[in-house]
Amino acid sequence: MYAVVMTNSDIGQPPVLPGIDDPASLMLRIAQQQDKSALAALFGLFGPRVKSMMIKLGAGDALAEDLVQETFLTVWRKAALYSNQRGAASTWIFTIARNLRIDQLRRQSNKPYEDLEKVTLASDSPTGSMLVERHQVIDRVTAALTTLSEDQQEVVRLSFIHDMPHARIAETIGIPLGTVKSRLRLAYERLRPMLEDLQ
Amino acid sequence: MTIEHHPDIATLMAFSAGTLDGPYATVIATHLAMSEGGRETLSHMDSIGGALLTAEPAALMSSGSLDRLLGTLGDEKIEVVPHDERGDDALPLPVQSYLPEGLVAVRWKWTGPGVATADLAWGDDGKSRLMLLRVGAGRRVPEHGHGGHELTLILQGAYRDRFGVFAKGDIADHDEDIEHQPIAEPGEDCICLVAVDARLTFRGRLMRVLQPLFGI
Repeated sequence: MYAVVMTNSDIGQPPVLPGIDDPASLMLRIAQQQDKSALAALFGLFGPRVKSMMIKLGAGDALAEDLVQETFLTVWRKAALYSNQRGAASTWIFTIARNLRIDQLRRQSNKPYEDLEKVTLASDSPTGSMLVERHQVIDRVTAALTTLSEDQQEVVRLSFIHDMPHARIAETIGIPLGTVKSRLRLAYERLRPMLEDLQ
Repeated sequence: MTIEHHPDIATLMAFSAGTLDGPYATVIATHLAMSEGGRETLSHMDSIGGALLTAEPAALMSSGSLDRLLGTLGDEKIEVVPHDERGDDALPLPVQSYLPEGLVAVRWKWTGPGVATADLAWGDDGKSRLMLLRVGAGRRVPEHGHGGHELTLILQGAYRDRFGVFAKGDIADHDEDIEHQPIAEPGEDCICLVAVDARLTFRGRLMRVLQPLFGI
């Protein structure tokens, strides 16, 4: 829907076609052809960002590199399970890295996530929407994140990137737990139109 | 199954970010296994992580890291889409590992008139726990407040409190400032999967005396 509206408002501009090296195309090449050069390209795009995220959580350089390796081995192993109609490649890579950090940095079980992934794969049909350029939608969400208030951006980043439980966010920035939660809810309400356009 | 009661958006965001303690993550994953709409909302939230990852600065990779990755690919086994061949009445997958023989095999502990519990697991820091709560059909749970965050997912039967009727798949997501008195609906025992991060506090003098006995 949103893509159509954008096209109408940009009459005269050619539609942006999927590039050969966009993350969704790379994922499909890995899934369908076990294309190692596509994995290498995806690693080039996201490996350094996954490493940055792991370092923010306190991983040393060597451990962060190991976690990047493990993330992309999982991408390779699970590529056939990936469907670009389920979400952007970056989102999928984020969830893999998140599960690894629960398991290896926090030493807790990520089994609830693994089990839920099995349920989703076994029961949910892909949404069947047009092959919207997922990374473009992600770009819109990224842009929308910068329009949140600084307070909201801070709690979202501390949660998703710095891996802090809500109670620790409250301690760290010195606000009540209820305020952390209400800022997150407000941030989600603000992002919701962009996020739901993913479907 | 129509789900009427969903988790708080903030709780779901914590699940998406991966920061919930184990017992809470298990309750949310079990609820989502029962709710296709919930899984769709989660996929929206996961995109926040995808967007933030895209916006991360690029760290410097060690030389040879790509060769190392490509060199180990040959040993990796490719995974294929799983099929769930369990029956329709099987427990949702995330809770099943705690209950391999189903709800009928649970060893219940009497914790009050018409009320029984069974511990399933403890959180990482030992401050939160995953447990089952069984309330006899038509029986009431003593009025209680919460020392902390409480997640209650209905696995069987239903209960009613001032927030409405909670049936199979519904989740009650209560903060510490909430007090309520659930009463199981008639007909069938109500069995819930519960994550709590502190001891519940029962109100009233009698209940304060009884609470150490209940152990809940």
